[in-house]
Amino acid sequence: MTFLLRRLAFYLAAFLAAATVNFFLPRLMPGDPIQIMFASAGSELSLENLNALKLTFGFIDAPLGEQYLRYLQSVFTGDLGRSIKYFPLPVTELLGRALVWTLGLVGIATLLSFCLGTFLGVMAAWRRGTIFDSIVSLTAIFSSSVPAVVVSLIMLFVFGYQLGWFPNGYAADPLLDPGFNWTYISSVLHHGTLPMLTMVIVLTGGFAVTMRNNMINLLGEDYIVMGRAKGVADSRVMLWYAARNALLPTVSSLAIALGTVLGGSLVTEVVFNYPGLGNTLYQAIIARDYPVIQGQLLIMTAAMLIANFVVDLSYVLLDPRLKKA
Amino acid sequence: MTDPVLSIRNLNIDYIGAEKDFHAVKDVSFDIAPGEFFGLAGESGCGKSTIAFAVSRLHRPPALIRKGSQILVGGRDVLSLTDDELRRFRWREVAMVFQSAMNSLNPVLTIETQFYDVLKAHTRISRAEARTRAAELLKLVDISPDRLSSYPHQCSGGMRQRIVIAICLALNPKLLIMDEPTTALDVVVQREILQRIDVLRKELGFSVLFITHDLGLMVQVSDRIGIMLEGELVEVNDAQTIYRTPQHAYTKRLWASMPKLHGEQIREGAQS
Amino acid sequence: MTLFRQLLSNKKAMVGITILLIVILVAIFAPFLTEYSPVKRVGRPHQAPSWEHWLGTTRLGHDVFARLVYGARVSLAVGFGAGLAITLIGTVLGIIAGYKGGVVDEVINFFTNMVLVVPNLPLLLVLAAFIGQASPLVIAVILGLTSWAWGVRVTRSETLSIRQRDYVKSAEMLGEPSWRIMAFEIFPNLISIVGINFIGSVIFAVITEATLEFLGLGDPNTVSWGIMLYNAQNASALSVGAWWDLLAPCFALAVLGLGLALINFAIDEIANPRLRTGGMLNRWTRMVRIGEGKL
Repeated sequence: MTFLLRRLAFYLAAFLAAATVNFFLPRLMPGDPIQIMFASAGSELSLENLNALKLTFGFIDAPLGEQYLRYLQSVFTGDLGRSIKYFPLPVTELLGRALVWTLGLVGIATLLSFCLGTFLGVMAAWRRGTIFDSIVSLTAIFSSSVPAVVVSLIMLFVFGYQLGWFPNGYAADPLLDPGFNWTYISSVLHHGTLPMLTMVIVLTGGFAVTMRNNMINLLGEDYIVMGRAKGVADSRVMLWYAARNALLPTVSSLAIALGTVLGGSLVTEVVFNYPGLGNTLYQAIIARDYPVIQGQLLIMTAAMLIANFVVDLSYVLLDPRLKKA
Repeated sequence: MTDPVLSIRNLNIDYIGAEKDFHAVKDVSFDIAPGEFFGLAGESGCGKSTIAFAVSRLHRPPALIRKGSQILVGGRDVLSLTDDELRRFRWREVAMVFQSAMNSLNPVLTIETQFYDVLKAHTRISRAEARTRAAELLKLVDISPDRLSSYPHQCSGGMRQRIVIAICLALNPKLLIMDEPTTALDVVVQREILQRIDVLRKELGFSVLFITHDLGLMVQVSDRIGIMLEGELVEVNDAQTIYRTPQHAYTKRLWASMPKLHGEQIREGAQS
Repeated sequence: MTLFRQLLSNKKAMVGITILLIVILVAIFAPFLTEYSPVKRVGRPHQAPSWEHWLGTTRLGHDVFARLVYGARVSLAVGFGAGLAITLIGTVLGIIAGYKGGVVDEVINFFTNMVLVVPNLPLLLVLAAFIGQASPLVIAVILGLTSWAWGVRVTRSETLSIRQRDYVKSAEMLGEPSWRIMAFEIFPNLISIVGINFIGSVIFAVITEATLEFLGLGDPNTVSWGIMLYNAQNASALSVGAWWDLLAPCFALAVLGLGLALINFAIDEIANPRLRTGGMLNRWTRMVRIGEGKL
């Protein structure tokens, strides 16, 4: 329990760090920070609205420390300001809408590729040196070294444009009304296939290599040899003696990999014009909509920290050595 | 004379390299009689563990048992077993205690599950029956049945070693191989464990193949001893002969390199 | 030096090094490989690949092949520049944290873990957005400053185990200053970890630079693979059928990534003999097949 509490405290500190970056960055830039932050708004904002925005970001007539506290207060009360491009839409609402799609895409893709990659890594390690191992290893190296943007573009070119099997954009047919019916859901699935496949291709290789290496490092361990010596079925030794133990370091590297996963999803969404965070962000970058760009860092950090916490929890469940107290 | 429990003839094992092979075991032959305590000694890297692994065929590539080698356990040719026969042969006929006590038990399974894995793999047994049997086995090595629901990290090193021995006895094997089983333990625990093995051997009637580099310890517990040097078995004799009148020059050198801690040995050393 | 010799006898490493060398040579000799300038209009927009324009032209009538070979310079420079910075910071902090221990270790470790859980790309996006149109140099600098955490983590944990070795202990007994111990006793034993960290960081930097530029945070006047992707995407190259405009930089990035990844995999195999397969296993399989022996 103390382990998890310590992690929680640490995550709070990390979130604070991300917020601090957001606070100081505009103030560190040469020139007037207010000018920088809200320049793209032009004269469309009324004075009243501009003042409200300034308040949210801590631009008040007070010492820096007070400004900082004012900003943290907004952040921790869930006020991330308003989008300048889509004024007066609150940033949380704009990003929240997008987040649903991203979480669906990233969550399922991570789960799929983690399972697939881990399984391939286990099999490759168990049959080390066979043709199967060589094929898995080489494919994995390739898939983990090619940028997500490249894979997305090639997938879009081949399956979207050349073969025309899948749509080239959007999360669902824009002519359909969103609803819990088969027509809409199947449209969502159809539109999600290519981005999902891209993510799985990009991620699976890394998981496979990690698991394969972790497992090979364990194969010489006495408890695995003893498992074999006991006459226990091969599949049980592979899964419950070798893979089960190799999973521990793999899960902790999953936590670090999540950053890459989020990064990969941003680009994939842009390429497939998928209405998730990535695409929203892309629009914001083009319009230099700073409140949105800053907001995504906080939301992504929060998502990452929650995911890390879930990994911590599963680690505690997986490793009996952490469970005792 | 009764048939030997283990009979090894012309055993050759190589580790295959990219260009050159390493000959780990060279033309080794010896027998172990039923109920016998047989010791195999030599420096680390001399091939003694390689032999132990070969008996249960636990090797992984690039190890290779060369053709012409023969390993008979209870008259059965181990090297011609099919995969499934081999699985059933392991532990039922030959059980093994591995080098490191700390590491022989799977850290993520309870002690009970590790008993259950063996019993389920070889017999038709329910989980409840397996638990009863495991408790009996733990009693043989003086461990409370409460320990069954523990994980290995909750037990001390000596206790883990005894648990491994209890697991070894689960199927009444003919042969127990101990591959430097006590190196990680302190001297007192070492002695205790070997004494216990000896008592159990007399009670249950299995043979022991004991592997160590500690010749002094080996002489105290073994009936017969084989001395290995760079993959070759250079001398096989009963323990007393090895101790009092070693034949091979290497055996003499091994004795000379031993720290002379016991009074007895100092006397012997002075004589030779 | 032995690491280098071992690399030369590793098949994966050889393929990887060959790919990398080709890209480096292309970058160096770019002016000799193409008669066109990468920034001048040399043809009609979106011409398909032909004898005059091997990889076609962009919407602005630039020669794609010329942009590709000149762009290799930027990718390599950012990759190796940022990779070097990342590795340097990571290795120095990792060794110090692992060797010094105590408060120093706790502080470094705390910041490392913090940087590890803040997602990298979103952070870079915020930084780059405030900087405006980031030149390759600026991208390399911010990559170097934000991406060292993984290196610290692996270097630190390896240092922790090396610190316990006898030769380090004896150097301490002899009263060697700690910087000497770190530089001459510990660092040489970290070579393969540092190598993996370096190549991994180069891959990361190449990919991330391309990604940032693709997302519109780069300087659009740069001739780089990322900007090529950005321009092609903005020109809707795929929907107008100008696939060469997009696929050329895609291919280049994939090949460079693969070459570097092969080298990395090979260093890993050399550093960790258990991962090695190669010649001996092939021979082993052959010998089993002809009945020379069994397991």
